Amino acid sequence: MYSNLPRWYPGGTQVSLTAVRRLLTLTKRALGWVEVCVAALASDIGGTFTDVVLVADGRVHVAKTLTTPDDPTEGLVRGIRRVLADAGVAAASVDRFTHATTLATNVILERRGADVAFVTTRGFGSMLALGRQARVEEERYDLAFSPGEPPVPATRTFEVPERLAADGTVLTPLDESAARRVAERVADLGVAAVAICLLHSHANDAHEKRLASLIAERLPEGTPVVVSSEVWPELGEYERATTTLMSAYVGPVMGSYLRRLRDRLAELGITAPVHVMESAGGVLPAELAASRAVYTIESGPAAGVVAATREGARHGLADLISFDMGGTTAKAGLVRGGRPGVTHEFQVGGKGSFGGRRPGTGVPIKVPAIDLAEVGSGGGSIAWVEAGALRVGPRSAGAAPGPACYGRGGALPTVTDADLVLGYLDPEGFGDLRLRPDLAEEAIARHVAKPLGVDVVEAAAAVHDIAGAQMGTAVHVVTVRRGIDPRGFTLVALGGAAPTHAAGLAERFGIRRVLVPARCGVGSAAGLLHADLAIERSRTFLAPATTADPVALEAVLADLENACRADLGLRDARCRVTRSVGLRFAGQAHAFTVELGPEAVTREVVDAAVAEFYARYRESYGIDLRDPAELTVARARVSLPADAAHVRGADPPRPAPDRTRRAWFGGAFREVPVRERAACAPGERFTGPCVVTEPQASLVVPPGWSGVLDDHGAVSLERENADA
Amino acid sequence: MRDDLIAEILRNALRVTAEEASIVVVRSAYSTFIVEGADAAAAILDANGRLVAHSLSTAIIQCASLRSALPYVIEAYPLADMSPGDVFCLNDVYQGGVHANDLLVFRPVFLDGSPAYFTGTLIHVADLSGLSAGGMASDATDVFLEGLQLPPVRIATAAGWDEGLTRVLAANSRTPDKLLGDLRALVAGANVAARRLEALAAEQDLAAGIDGYLAHTEARMREELARLPRGTYEGEYAVEDGDDRHWVRVAVTVHDDGVLVDFTGTDPQVATPVNSGFSQTLGGVMYALRCFVDPSLPMNEGCFAPVDVRMPEGSLVNCTKPHPGGGRWGTVAAAEEAIFAALTRALPGRGAAASGILQAFSISGAARPWLHMAFELGGMGARYGRDGPDATGALFGGGRNIIPQVEPIEARLPVRIEEVALIPDSGGRGRRRGGLGTRTVIRVLEDARADTRGDRLRHPPAGAAGGGHGRGGGYYRERPDGTREPLPSKATRSPLRAGEALVVETSGGGGYGDPAERDPEAVRRDVSDGRTTR
Repeated sequence: MYSNLPRWYPGGTQVSLTAVRRLLTLTKRALGWVEVCVAALASDIGGTFTDVVLVADGRVHVAKTLTTPDDPTEGLVRGIRRVLADAGVAAASVDRFTHATTLATNVILERRGADVAFVTTRGFGSMLALGRQARVEEERYDLAFSPGEPPVPATRTFEVPERLAADGTVLTPLDESAARRVAERVADLGVAAVAICLLHSHANDAHEKRLASLIAERLPEGTPVVVSSEVWPELGEYERATTTLMSAYVGPVMGSYLRRLRDRLAELGITAPVHVMESAGGVLPAELAASRAVYTIESGPAAGVVAATREGARHGLADLISFDMGGTTAKAGLVRGGRPGVTHEFQVGGKGSFGGRRPGTGVPIKVPAIDLAEVGSGGGSIAWVEAGALRVGPRSAGAAPGPACYGRGGALPTVTDADLVLGYLDPEGFGDLRLRPDLAEEAIARHVAKPLGVDVVEAAAAVHDIAGAQMGTAVHVVTVRRGIDPRGFTLVALGGAAPTHAAGLAERFGIRRVLVPARCGVGSAAGLLHADLAIERSRTFLAPATTADPVALEAVLADLENACRADLGLRDARCRVTRSVGLRFAGQAHAFTVELGPEAVTREVVDAAVAEFYARYRESYGIDLRDPAELTVARARVSLPADAAHVRGADPPRPAPDRTRRAWFGGAFREVPVRERAACAPGERFTGPCVVTEPQASLVVPPGWSGVLDDHGAVSLERENADA
Repeated sequence: MRDDLIAEILRNALRVTAEEASIVVVRSAYSTFIVEGADAAAAILDANGRLVAHSLSTAIIQCASLRSALPYVIEAYPLADMSPGDVFCLNDVYQGGVHANDLLVFRPVFLDGSPAYFTGTLIHVADLSGLSAGGMASDATDVFLEGLQLPPVRIATAAGWDEGLTRVLAANSRTPDKLLGDLRALVAGANVAARRLEALAAEQDLAAGIDGYLAHTEARMREELARLPRGTYEGEYAVEDGDDRHWVRVAVTVHDDGVLVDFTGTDPQVATPVNSGFSQTLGGVMYALRCFVDPSLPMNEGCFAPVDVRMPEGSLVNCTKPHPGGGRWGTVAAAEEAIFAALTRALPGRGAAASGILQAFSISGAARPWLHMAFELGGMGARYGRDGPDATGALFGGGRNIIPQVEPIEARLPVRIEEVALIPDSGGRGRRRGGLGTRTVIRVLEDARADTRGDRLRHPPAGAAGGGHGRGGGYYRERPDGTREPLPSKATRSPLRAGEALVVETSGGGGYGDPAERDPEAVRRDVSDGRTTR
C-alpha cells in the first residue's frame, strides 16, 4: 500500500525492503569501524568556522577553516584536505565520518525549506495561521507590530472531514471522497512535501495513515508525506503539527545536502558511512538524518556538550557546565552526574532573550534535545552604541567580512577585536589568518570609544565585559534559573573564543575550576568522535499513576523500543535502552521526565517513578506534595555506544621561546608571560596573570588563577583563593 | 566599569529573577487558566514601592496591580513589623488588586536587617467564591458577589502558614485543593525570586545599581515623551453594558515635564462589573503611552515617573466600594483606545483603528464540578502603514500562547471543540485592512452553564481615517440541529444542555483609510488566503 513512498519517509512501517537492507548494510559497516578503525574524521560547521578533526593512528590532527555559507561543503572539503595532508593519511583509509551541521536550523531561520502542503481535521484549517506565539515585550508596545507569516500559507492548507475523540474512538469516519479531492488539489500545487496532523491522532493513527496513502497515490513517486502520529505521537495538536511540518520542510533540503556531501566526500576518495549528530547527543546514519531532519536542529551545540562530558569523565568530574563559544554564539549546557540534561520541547527561530529560547516565540519542535542555552554573543559579535548605551551582538560579522582585525574588509568592531586590543589574543593568529591590532583599534575607536567618549582600551574592556555578561546569561539559564547553584560545577571551555573568556565567566558565578581540553578550539568536532548511534521515540500515555496498567505501559514501551531498533537497523545486544515516562500532578500541565529501569514495568516500577517525581518536584519548586500523580507519556531511547578511536597522549613538547605581552588585567596593562601550549610538558604549571596560546585559541589565566597541563594536553585551571 | 554598563548587566539579572518566579508559579499551579496556557505575573519592587523589574510574561495590568497594591500592604504591616519569612497576600480591588480571583502575593527581602525589596507574584486562582465558579459573574451588582474579599493579610511567616487564614480561604472555594495549590505556587515563586535577589545583593551594591537603572530608564522615558508635540488632546471610547454604553473620556496633556492623563468627564461607576479598579486603569494608561515611546524601554518605575494620571473616584475608571470591578478589561481597553484616539490627533499618521479585544468565557458543569475557562482574541485594528494582525492580543499585550489547545481540553473535560477558525471578511475594510476575528465552537457532552464577558460586539471596533469597522463578534448557543441563538455579551450561568454548543465569535479590527485605495495586490492576496471572500 505504501510502496510508492520514499525511502526516507519517517514511517518505520513504510520503509521499503530495499531501504531496510541498505540500512542494515550501512549499520554493519558502521559497526565494523569500531574494531578496525584506522582513521576517523569529524567535522562541525558553525556560523563562522568549519572545524575538522582527524584521528589517525592514535594521533589527532585538526583544521579550522572559514565557513563557506553558500556551499558549506567547500570549506569542509578544504579542511579535510588539510588534515589528510597534515596526517599523511590516504582518504580511502577514513572509515568513519561524523558530522554536525546547523543546516536544519538555518533552513528554518532563513525559510529555505521545501514547499509543504498541510492537511488537518475539518474546523482547524486556521491552526497554523493562528499559531501560539507569545508577543515579547518590545512587540506588545509596537503599534506597527506584525506577526510573521505562518509556516505554511493558507493556500496550501487543507481540511478533511473526520474526527476522533480524545481516547482515539472514531466519531466521524474519514471522508475518503473528500480526502481524494484534497489529494487532487495538493497534487495540482506541485508541493515538494506534505504534512498531515489530525486531531487526537496520537491515540489512533488510522485516519492519518489512510489519508497519507490516499494523498501519496496522487503525488509524484518519492514525494514525502509525513504524518504526525509517526513524527511525534503526543498530545498537543499545535506542537505536533509544527514538528511534523518541520520534518517535511527540512527533510528534503537535508536529504539533498547529505547527498551532495557524500558526493564531495567520494570525490575526495572517502566512502566511509556518514553519521550526523542529532540534538540529543547521539548520531544518526545519514539516511535517517534526512527523514528525521528535525532531530538534528541542535546538532552542533549538542556535540560541544558531548565533548565536555567526555573531558569531564576523563578527569573524574561529573558535574559540569559546558561553555561553547565560537564566532557567532555562545552556548551553555549542564551535565549532572556525568549526563547532559535533555529537554523535550524547544523553539526554533524564537525571539532572542535570556538564553535565546523564549517559549512561544518561535516554532515549537518536540524532539529530544540536549538542554542548552544559547546567546548571540560570540567572537564575531558586533559592538555598537545605541542612545548612549553599549551593546554587543546579536549581529555577527561571521566569516565574511569577519572581525575588523581579520583584515578581510570588516570595519565594525567585534568581541575578537576587543580581545586583541586587550592583549588576550596572539596577532600571529592561526592557519592563514593573521590578526591586525591596528584595524581592531581603529574600528573600536570609531564605533565605540568615540561615541561613548572613552579611550580605546576602556572601550575594548567594556566590550569584553558586556560580552562576558551576556555569556553569563546562558550559564545562568542552565543553572541558577533552575535553582542549581553553579559553584560546585566545573566549567568546560570549548570553541575558539571560550578559553579567552572562561575564567572571567567562572568568577562571575563563583565557579572555581575550569577545564580546557586539548584542541579546545575545535572541541565540538572532537566531541563528535565520541557520540553514540542513537534514536528516541515517544507516545502519549495518559493514566492516573495509581491505577495505570503496568502491562499496557510495558507493551507501549516495548513497541517504542522495537521501532527505535528498526530505525537504526539494530538487533545488537550491546544496544543500550533508556526508558522513561512523563509524570505530573493530576490537574497540572507540566510534566517531569522520570527514567525507569531496564526491567519490565510492574506496579513497583510505577510507584518508584512516582516517588522519584515527588522528590524532583520538591527539589525544583520547594513544595513537598503527595497529591495524585498521572502518567503523560512513554519514551524509549535506543543507543549503540561508540568505541571511539583511541587517542594517544599529548605530543612531546616542541620547544618555543618564552615570550611576554602587554595584556589588560585588573584595570591596567601588565607585561605577562605568553606560553605556547605545544611547548609545555605535562605537569607544567601556569600562574595568572598569563596567556597560554595554541593554534586555534588563546587561554587567558587571570590573576588569582593557576593551571596545570595534563598528559592529554588539557589544562585544569583553579582559582587559588577560597573566597569565591 | 561605567554605571550604564553595570545597569545593563543588572537589568538582565533582575529580569531573570522575576522570570524564575513566573516559571515556578506556572509549573506548580493548578488554576484552570494557568494549566491551559496563561502565564503568571511576577515582579520585583523596592521598599518604597518602586517597580524594579517584572517577568516577560507579566501583562501590564498585572504589573500595575502589583505596583499599586504594595503600598497598601506596607500601610497595613509597617516595614518595621515585618520579619524574614513573612508572606502577604491580598485581592482587594480598592487597594490595588484586580478582582477576587486574582490573588497577589508579596514577600519582603531583608537586607541588613530590614525589608529592602519585595518580590510579588499574581495569578488568576482556581476559585474563590462568588456567584459563578471561576469568578466571571457578570451579574454581580457589588464586590461581595464577586468573591471573598481579602485585604492585605499575613498569610505565612517563617514558622509556616497561618492555618486559620488558609482554612478560611479553603472554606470559601469551590475547589479548595486547587486554591491552596495555587497559593503554594504563588509563594514558591516569590520565595525563589527572593532568594535570588538576596544572592544578587550579596554580590554587589544592589541599591546603587537599581537607582541608576531606574534613573536611566526615567531619563529615556522623559526623552521619548519630549518628542510628542506639546498640547492637550482629547479622546473617548465606549464600553458596552447590556443595552447601555458608558463612556471613558480622556484628555492627554503633553507638557515639558512629562504627560498628564486626565479622565475627568468619564461616566460614573455602575452596579455591574464593567468598572475598573484604579490599578487596572493605570495599567491601561501605561500600555497606551508606551505605544508612543521606544518599545524596547524596560518596564520599571522609570516609565511611571513622568506620567501623572487623574482618575476621578467613583467613576468607571476608579471604582469605589462596593462597586464591582471584575469585568474591568472592557473599560481598560476603552481607556487605551481613548488615549490612542487622543494621541492620534497629536501625531497624525501614527495611530491605529480600534481593535477587537480579549473575549473571555467559562463553561462549568451543572451536575458535577468542572470548569473550562479561556478566552479568544479579537482582530487588531489596522495601522497607518499596515494591516491589523489577526486574532492576536491587542491592548492587553499577550499573544496566543495563552489560548488553550483542543487536545488537552478534550482529554480533561466533557466538551468537544468543533472549530477554531478565522472568520473571513471580519476585518474592517480600508486601505489597510483590520485583523480578523475568530469563531470557536465548543459542544458540551454534559449539562453545563456558560459565563461570557465580551465587549465591542454590538458596536464593533471602529475604523479610522475613512476605514470601515470590523465585524462585531458575539456569543451564541447552538442547538444540536444547528440553530443559533444569541447570548448576552455578559451572560451569567446560561444553561447549555448536553449536545448544545457555546459559539464564541470575536470582533474583527477596524480598517484604516479609504478601502478604494487598497493595493489591488493586497486585495488579491486576501482572497487567495481566505481572509476575504471577494
